[in-house]
This record gives sequence, C-alpha cells and structure tokens, in this order.
Amino acid sequence: MQKRARINAAIVMSIIILWLMIPLGATAVYSLFEDWTGIVPRGFTLANYKTIFTDTAFLSAMYQTVLICVIPILITIAVMLLALFTVTVYFPKLEKYMQLLCMIPYTIQGVILSVSILILYARNDSVLSQRMVMLMGAYCIIILPHIYNGIRNGMRAINMKMLLDAAEMLGESKLKAFFKVIVPNIMTGIIVSSLLAVALLFGDYVIIRNLSSANVNNMQQFLYQAMKRSSTEASAVSMVIILITFAITALVLALQSRGMLEKMRNEGK
Amino acid sequence: MSYICFEKINKKFGTNHVLKDIELDVEKGQFVTLLGPSGCGKSTLLRCLSGLEQVTSGRIYLDGEDITAVTPRHRGIGMVFQQYSLFPNLSVRRNVAYGLKLKRLPKAEIDQKVEEMLSIVGLSDKIDQYPAQLSGGQQQRVALARAMVTAPKVLLLDEPLSAIDALLRKSLQIEIRRIQQQLGITTIYVTHDQDEAMIMSDVINLFHDGKIEQTGTPEQIYTRPATRFAATFIGNYNLLDAKDFNRAFGTAIPQPEVAVRPEIINLSRQAVAKGEGLLVAEGKIASYISHGNLIRFSVDVNGLLINADVLFEDKREFAQGDQVFVTIKEDLVIGLQ
Amino acid sequence: MKDKRRPKALSGKNVRYYYLLALTPFLFLVIMYELMPLIMLVVDSFKSEKAKDVLFTFENYRKIFTTLSYKKAILNSLKITTISTAFGIVIAFLGARAAYNSRGKFRNAYLTVLNMTSNFAGVPLAFAYMIILGNAGVVKQIANLYGIDFLQNFDLYSSSGLTMIYVYFQIPLSTLLLIPAFNGIRKEWGEANMLLGGTNTHFWHKVGIPVLLPSLFSTLSVLFANALSAYATAYALLMNNFSLLPVNISASFVGDIKTKPKLGAALSVVMMIIMSIVILVNNYITKKTTKWEGS
Repeated sequence: MQKRARINAAIVMSIIILWLMIPLGATAVYSLFEDWTGIVPRGFTLANYKTIFTDTAFLSAMYQTVLICVIPILITIAVMLLALFTVTVYFPKLEKYMQLLCMIPYTIQGVILSVSILILYARNDSVLSQRMVMLMGAYCIIILPHIYNGIRNGMRAINMKMLLDAAEMLGESKLKAFFKVIVPNIMTGIIVSSLLAVALLFGDYVIIRNLSSANVNNMQQFLYQAMKRSSTEASAVSMVIILITFAITALVLALQSRGMLEKMRNEGK
Repeated sequence: MSYICFEKINKKFGTNHVLKDIELDVEKGQFVTLLGPSGCGKSTLLRCLSGLEQVTSGRIYLDGEDITAVTPRHRGIGMVFQQYSLFPNLSVRRNVAYGLKLKRLPKAEIDQKVEEMLSIVGLSDKIDQYPAQLSGGQQQRVALARAMVTAPKVLLLDEPLSAIDALLRKSLQIEIRRIQQQLGITTIYVTHDQDEAMIMSDVINLFHDGKIEQTGTPEQIYTRPATRFAATFIGNYNLLDAKDFNRAFGTAIPQPEVAVRPEIINLSRQAVAKGEGLLVAEGKIASYISHGNLIRFSVDVNGLLINADVLFEDKREFAQGDQVFVTIKEDLVIGLQ
Repeated sequence: MKDKRRPKALSGKNVRYYYLLALTPFLFLVIMYELMPLIMLVVDSFKSEKAKDVLFTFENYRKIFTTLSYKKAILNSLKITTISTAFGIVIAFLGARAAYNSRGKFRNAYLTVLNMTSNFAGVPLAFAYMIILGNAGVVKQIANLYGIDFLQNFDLYSSSGLTMIYVYFQIPLSTLLLIPAFNGIRKEWGEANMLLGGTNTHFWHKVGIPVLLPSLFSTLSVLFANALSAYATAYALLMNNFSLLPVNISASFVGDIKTKPKLGAALSVVMMIIMSIVILVNNYITKKTTKWEGS
C-alpha cells in the first residue's frame, strides 16, 4: 500500500522533472553545438559564448541589469525597515493598511503598473519624467510584496517586542536598539527576500520595455534582440540568464536551509 | 490459545532492531499496558498489531486467526493516537460516524450508535462542533468514541493522554478505565507513565530495549521487580550494593544487588531487637526532603545511603544528624541479578 | 503604548507623531508610484481619445466591447489563462502529493528542480520552446525525418502553443505553493482512515481534498493572476500578432503603431476588474470552505 504510493510518487516526480528539464537541456545543447538538426547534435563549440562575452553591448546590458536591480532593492529595504519599525512599535493599528498597500502590486503586476506610471509622468517636465526615475519607482513598487513579507516574517519569528523592551530596559533607545539588535537578527530573512526580488527584477521584460529609454537595456531585452539576429547567439545569452537565475535560487535555498538548521539547533537547546 | 498472541515478533528499521523475539499473550476483555521509556519499541508493537507496520518476522493471532498478512482495514482494530487524529473538516458526529458509514449501516442505526457512544464519553452536547473548537481532552474522548463505535475486536491506545495537562490526565485515566470495563472491550494501552499504568491496567508488560522485561499485575510489578531496570523504572526503589548491605545489616544476600522500597523501611529512636525475619542497623540522618504527604529521609548506615519514607502526620520526627535505628522486613528485600 | 516609562521632555503623544516622520519615505513611494498612477489610470480611462475637452465618457469602454479585436483579446486572455491554470492546478496536486509521499535524496532533487525552474519564464522560456518546437525546431526536424504527423502539424505560434508554454511556468510555481499545504495533512488521519476501513481514495475524497481546498483555491487565484498578466512570454513568441490583454495594453502606450493611451487605460481597468472578481470569488470560497477551522 505505502510502497505503491511511493512508486507512484517516484513516477510522477520523474515525469515532472523531465518535463521541466527538457527546455533547459535543449537551450544548453543548442548553445554548445554547431549543428543540431538531427537527433544527435554535432560539432561541440564554445564560440557562441566567446561571441557574446566579447560583445560590449552584451557586457553593458549585464552591467545595467545589475545596477537597475540593486538600487531599487536597497531603497525599498531601507524604506520598509523604517516603516515596519514605526508601525509595529508605535502604530500597530496601521498594520493592516500597510499590508494592503504592500500587497496591491501582487494583483496589478508589471503591465498595468508600468503603463499607469507612464500616464502619470510621461508628459511631466520635472525630474519625475526621466525614464530612469520612472523605472526605479516601478521597480521599487513591484518588489514591495517580497520585501514586506521577508522583513515582516523575520520580525514575527524573533519576537521583536520583547527584544526591544529588553534593550530599552538596558538604557538603549528603541530606534537604536532596532538597528543594533533586530536588524542583525533578521538579516538572513532580508537577504533571502532581496534575492527573490533580484530574481524578479532580473526576469523583468515588460516594465523596462515600457518605461526605459532606448539606450537602457537589460539582459532580457538583449536576449529578445539577439533572437532576431542569430538564434545560436541568443541561446548562449539565454543560457547565461538561466545560469544566473539558478545561482540566485541556489543561494536562496542555501540560506533558507541554513536558517532552518539554526532554528533546529536553537530549539534543541 | 489466548485472544491475542504475539509469536516471536521481530521488527527492524534498517539496521535498527526495534523488537526482539517478542512473545506476548492477551486475554479477552483485559486491559493490558505496554510500559517503558521512549524508544523501547512499545509503540512499534502496537502498530504491528494494527497493521500500520509490517513485522520483519513472527506471527500475530487475533481471535484465533492469523492476521500477520491481513491489511489494516480488515483487521477490525480500533486505535486512538497521541493527538491530532480527528479529521479536522468533519464535525464530531461525522468523525464518529466515519467507520460506521464505511460499513454501510442504515442512517438511523448510525445516528443511534453515534449518539449512544458520545453519551458514554460524555460529549453529547458537542455533537455538531468541529475538532478545532474542542479542548485537547475532549478531542481525545471523541477519538476514543470513534475507535470504539465500530465495536472493534481490540482497542489500541498509543499514549493518548501524553499531550494532556496533568490534572485532566488523572480524570481521563479513570474515565477510560471505566468505559473499558463498561463495554468489556479488550484494550492494549501504551504509556511511559508508570502511575498511569498502575491505575489503569489488569496486566502490565514492562518494555526495555525491544524486549519484554517483566509481565505481571500492577501489584506484582510494583512489589516484585525482577530486574535492575524494572526496579529503577518502577517506584523509588533503593538500589544497594549487596556486599555493603550484608555488612551493614549482618545478613547474607547471594545476589550482587538488592532493591528495597523506601516505604517499607521503618525508622525509630529506640533500639529495635533483631528478630525473626527482621533486619536492623544503626545509622544517622544525612538529609531529608519533604514530599507533602511524606518525608523522605536519607539515612547513612556505615557509609551506605538508604532512603526511607515516613508518613507525615503531625511534625517531622527526626532532624539532620539524629541517630536512628533502621528496620526492614527481610522478606521484602529483593535480590537482583 | 502607554508612556509612563518615558520621562522625557516630549510628552507621549508628541513622541508618537514625531515617529510618524519615519513613515514618510514609505508613504511617498506608495503614493507616488502605486496609488496616484492607479488613480490616474482609472481617470484616464474615462477621457476621450480624440476630444481633449471631454472629461468623462464611456467611449473607450464602449469601443472595447464592440470592437472584435478587443473582445478577442479579452476572450483569448481568459481562455489561455483558464486552461493553463486548470492544467497547472491538476499537475500541482499530483506533483505536491508525490513530494508528500516520498522521502530522501530524490525528493530533494525534485524540490531543487522546482525551485530552479520557478523563475524560468518570459523570453528565455519562449526561446527554449522555439528551439524545440519552433518551425526549425529540433522536434519538428525529427518529426519531418520520421513523418510523425501530429508533431509536424503542431503550431507553436498559436494559442495552443502559447498555452503549452504557460502551463510550463505554472507547474513549478503551483507545486511549490501546494507542498506546504500537503505537509499540513497529518499522517494520523490517513492511518485512522485505514483502521476505520477506508481506502486511500475514500480518504482523499472525504478528508484530504476538503482539508486542502482553501490552499487549492488560493493557489488557483495566484496562477490565474500569474497567467493573466504574463506579457514577456507571449510577446517574445508572437509579438503583437496575437490579441491578448497585456499585449494590447502595452501596445496602446508604446510601439510603432499609433498609440491610444486612453483606450489602453480602459483595457487596464477591465483587466483589473477581472483580477478583482477572481480574488473576491476566491475569498468567498475560502470563507465557505474553512468554516471547520474554528475560532
């Protein structure tokens, strides 16, 4: 009985793994061979990778991607830490409104967010109409739910109220205690949620397409253009994107399992 | 043949040998307890009887039938788990009716049986509530009703009270025993709590390291522990080195170790004459601890520390450093192998 | 917070308002880039595309529901979203149950693959499918070689091709969302069912699925939102040649053809309404299916 359930499970898992791996494997093989028109690909080569890594346009897209990922995340984390501290300690009644505001981006998502920002600021003459500013604003909002959840869950897990009271008894101000005691304790949670935000922004295509000017490019856009030029080159770009995404996910998994281990160890005490 | 027979039961999880050649008989209508520390194999034996675990070797007979290879669903066994076993999406009524519906009984009969069983466990007023609305103790009583309502051949209880707080646990112990006697249902009960086993059981099987260490009535187990393990697990036995004991009391116990219950040791200021079957030694009160209804004195007899319980009636009789005479009835001294 | 313990110059009330300052960056961000844009979007949707002086008109909405291509965009979006969500939830149910029923290294490998592929969507995913099933794709070539009809005739650049790719990115997401819910199913329930004479099927029918229902519905609405708003996958595969809500919305603001921002705003509002209906229905069902969770 149990054995049969286990065998069924193994079959289902194998099929799903296979199904999910086929597109990945195909991209990888395509990027590494000269010719793949039969069942067996022929002519192993790294030429595609050599091409893209010597292409300044690709390197610049990579550099810009990093920049436009990191800045909004740092801004949102700083803003969120201040706001969550204030709300949980001094205005607990506002918590549910804050949660609502942070969850709206989940439902509107990239397309609507980007066009509505475009409507508001495109014909404006101030600094707000600059493409880069609009893009940063949109990115800050689209990652709001992730950063909010990450910090909120971290605060719940460590019993923030008690720690702050204890620090205050020892003569520390609440705000100082927050940055000295609470923030280091929820650092893993902050890092994990930032990484999830990086993965989200890294995969963005629609927001940057709608909001950025022609000279700002991220890797997704570069891939789209490469697809039209040469599919072999595009396959290498695609592989680089996939591998970077994997690296981010692997880091998240490693941090989460470390957090889990620590928790288990602490509970064992 | 007894109602339930375990014949040379072995169970291995990988390299871990959990049950070693278990032989156990249970008579019809008995309340039998499997008692032992956690990890001794008692729960595993219960799960083997229910069919939730397969034995590695050996045979199990229930009501004259070999059930070793029968699937759990056809064994006719009711079981109550430690906790969380009620179906959370079903009301109390539908939880209890679950097994009856599977037997395709007519609805009127199901309703009548469910209501009857709920009144036996004293929860008639909770019939339309959901498990999450009940306390832990109430949930376990519903679980008991659900397990008994199908009239199983045997009822298994796997530490059903271990997650319940101490006060409520006592009253539930008595209630479960009452219900079991009222229905005359053969019951096997697993616990690590020796008080619980003493209060509820007809027969106790003391488990240790995958083997049955001793079988007997609560009185037998309590007064005559057969091994060192039994003596340490049950009660508050003094475990004393036989050589030291022989020197202190001037007797000759052949076994290497003796066990003496603290409540059969008598302390007095006046000298007591050594009589027929009476062991006497002189010692000094080393320390004492008050347990409320009794005081446990630790007496130093020639460097041998012996605990003696004295019922606390009016005032404490001895102070630290007092000279006392220690008297023990010789036939209550148990030699251990 | 009662401020008896705070012997400072500022009184308790003032301290609170002083801390309100710490909220301003958050409020600035949310108002400037979330609330005001959304309000403007709704306001704009009622403005006229041609006559600048008309402040309120249903012209755009009328146009959406009378023009074939916009109606088609809505229908296509609903169709692809619904089908990919349905496939996603069924596969996720089986996939999460498989994870629940297994242990050890293979399960870990499975979870890793799910996590890794959960961010594999958009342009790279569409491209991967083109490599496999596109007109010059490997499977196509093999199918031509051996004359496998149904593969030869399969058109990736169609609504069924698009649905297939959507199903792909729904699988890891939905399975990962359902696995924690399965872990909430206690082993004891299955065992009690067995001892009371129930089969495995009976258990899932009476207990397993009812207990999972709230999680199934919330996963359903996440999948729906995810598919409805997906843009990159569709655009990379079919550009503006296939009518879909997000594609049409984007095209009315940015692109080579003449832009129609007011109409795009109205389309956005329609899409938000669809999303809200799904969320409301989901909340209602969740409330209905969790009455046993107790108070």
